[in-house]
Amino acid sequence: MAAVRVRGLTVAPAGSRPVLRDLDLDVPAGERVLLVGPSGSGKSTLLRALAGLLDAEHDDDGAVTGEVLVGGRPAGPGAAGLLLQDPLDAVVAATAGRDTAFGPENAVLDRPEIWERVARAQAAASFRPGRERDTATLSGGELQRLGLAGALALRPGLLLLDEPTSMLDAPTALAVRDAVLAAAGDSTLVVVDHDVAAWAHVVDRVLVLGADGAVVDDGPPAAVLARAATSTSELWIPGAPVPDPLDVPSELVTPALRLPGGDVALHGRGLRVVRRRRGLRPGPATTVLDGVDAELRTGAVTALTGTSGAGKSTLVAVLAGLLRPTAGDVLAAPGLAARGRREPWRWSSAELATRVGWIPQHPEHGVVRPSVREEVRATGRALGLGAAGDRRADDLLDLLGLAHRADVDPHLLSGGEQRRLGVASALAAGPSLVLADEPSVGQDRATWAVVAGVLRSAARAGAAVAVATHDARLVAACADAEVALAGGRLLPAAGAPAAGPAVGTPADDTPARLAAVRP
Amino acid sequence: MSVTDLVPPTATQDRTAAGGPPVRRCGPLSLLGASVLPVAGSLAVDTWRVGAVALAVQLLLLPLAVRGWRALLPRLVPVTIAAVSVGWSTWLLGGEADPVAAAVASVLRIAVLVLPGVVLLAWLDPSETGDHLAQRLHLPARAVVAATAALEQLSALAQAWDELSRARRARGLGPGRGPVSRVRWAASTAFGLLVEALRRAARMSVAMDARGFADAAGRSWALPARWALADTVLLVVGALLAAVPLVATALLG
Repeated sequence: MAAVRVRGLTVAPAGSRPVLRDLDLDVPAGERVLLVGPSGSGKSTLLRALAGLLDAEHDDDGAVTGEVLVGGRPAGPGAAGLLLQDPLDAVVAATAGRDTAFGPENAVLDRPEIWERVARAQAAASFRPGRERDTATLSGGELQRLGLAGALALRPGLLLLDEPTSMLDAPTALAVRDAVLAAAGDSTLVVVDHDVAAWAHVVDRVLVLGADGAVVDDGPPAAVLARAATSTSELWIPGAPVPDPLDVPSELVTPALRLPGGDVALHGRGLRVVRRRRGLRPGPATTVLDGVDAELRTGAVTALTGTSGAGKSTLVAVLAGLLRPTAGDVLAAPGLAARGRREPWRWSSAELATRVGWIPQHPEHGVVRPSVREEVRATGRALGLGAAGDRRADDLLDLLGLAHRADVDPHLLSGGEQRRLGVASALAAGPSLVLADEPSVGQDRATWAVVAGVLRSAARAGAAVAVATHDARLVAACADAEVALAGGRLLPAAGAPAAGPAVGTPADDTPARLAAVRP
Repeated sequence: MSVTDLVPPTATQDRTAAGGPPVRRCGPLSLLGASVLPVAGSLAVDTWRVGAVALAVQLLLLPLAVRGWRALLPRLVPVTIAAVSVGWSTWLLGGEADPVAAAVASVLRIAVLVLPGVVLLAWLDPSETGDHLAQRLHLPARAVVAATAALEQLSALAQAWDELSRARRARGLGPGRGPVSRVRWAASTAFGLLVEALRRAARMSVAMDARGFADAAGRSWALPARWALADTVLLVVGALLAAVPLVATALLG
């Protein structure tokens, strides 16, 4: 147990507005706090400050002033357990077991105790691939649970979690949330999560950050939520309606190459992907996709769903022409053929970028340019679209609420902002096929409506859109068809479409209801 | 669950259980030692006869140590290029009485120098190497963890290259069809890979600090670093291999 005391904390990155402004905060020992706020409001930065990591990143974070005490002492690295927002950043070892053991090793524990903690922490985080598993082969959701296990293994007095369930399907998210609460015991807990409904009734307090990095509300969950419900809040208040996806002006999302509506724009048959660890010491081969069929139609949004590790991201990469399937065919409509070739993986980079917009699961790894403006314009420039291309890119940046960040290095954006930059960059050159991998992670209600709106409007303007997602709200609001995966194979088609999932309570959805799509 | 069940096997124990050539039973330190010792011996390779004898002995022992012939071949490519180019330049520029014999001797010297390392280091596991360096040689924990992390990152480079080229390809920044365009693309991707490697290193150090690495005064190690009989045998064999050229020189002199 550790109490937190923050006085006058201001974090101002060089050449940008402050991320946190003169923030005071007291968290008594053992209290459980949910930290919410619009995308880019400084939630992750506050967690890093509490974890004592801001000094370590001084170059990136510019001036840090104020006082942060944890358990009466200045916050130092390792005193708190921290789960980072992108779980890929949290991996410190080659196997899952050594990764979880890293914290206990630093705590100079005896060998049997180290492994006892590893076993308990991985069980608590529902991490099941096993301690021998190569960390390079884990899916996004599995990495998230491994990162959580790594934080829990330290048995910290203060546990800091940055969107611990954002890449998990609803039942797993619920299980992990309960595991967090059980494992946290009487530790002080600060959780950042956009899913207010899942956490509101299990925390003692909700702290709301405003867009300018100051505390705008603070108190017991019921009172804060009641106040938020009366204002037009950007927060995902339980019971509030899911916002309608924004209608985006069609000139921002219309494909450059148009196909007749309703046609199959891209189809995969019997897709199989076997992955083998490359390098000088190849690892064993694993089959990540097996016998998968998929069909993307123009004018439609197809949801790719399934638990974490089901092969969604691999299917997206195959459909996007970024990965050649080991077996099976993936063919675009004849109208999209380039030099007579219909297989996306055979297209040249320019041909691919003209036809396909890809939104990667780890947006930070998709960055190709040193500033936000150059990033969003990059594809149009490469394809020689000229001033019109630049204008469309800039308008998309504005639409996604990033215009004021245009001169910033994309690596300095918040997680949610990076994801929106990925959406803008993918749409900027007018693709006919839009393939999005978890596009709605880390979005507040307002930015969610824009992201969902871009995807739906792109389909209405004549693109074929596929979305790999755990977000039941996104499936309900946008999807016209669904491809459900489990363990790399197709799930048999779900029964008659049920009503959309209950608003604001994604955690209550069973997988069957997750499969529901808009009629 | 008893305590012994909780501690998983080391990489060496896994290899030993899996079957294969006898070298699989050896830990990282003896593998490193036996890779380095023949370097000293190779200095004594002065004639092609001595080189041939030394290489023949190494080749005879090869089946006891090779981990997969298919994986060995790509590792031999750079060695072969180095040996052949040294041999060729010796033949061309050496000005020896018998240029062909001198060239063959220099080729054999390189082969004798490098072959044990090429074969044995295939068995090295980065994190197990770290365990042994820290627990048996008592090198500073921070340096060992940093070196292990660096080795792991090196093996992750192939994946990083894939990710980076994938992102660039999707954005229209991939190579054109001409060879010039491909070379330029590879160069700029390599630069991107360098920048990305630095970013990864920075992210990883933050992750390590968040797990208490920053101010860890000491450190324990999750897996033991045992010295087995097989390690002693391998070191002795390595020393004998190093002695072969010296003995051959004395005998064939």
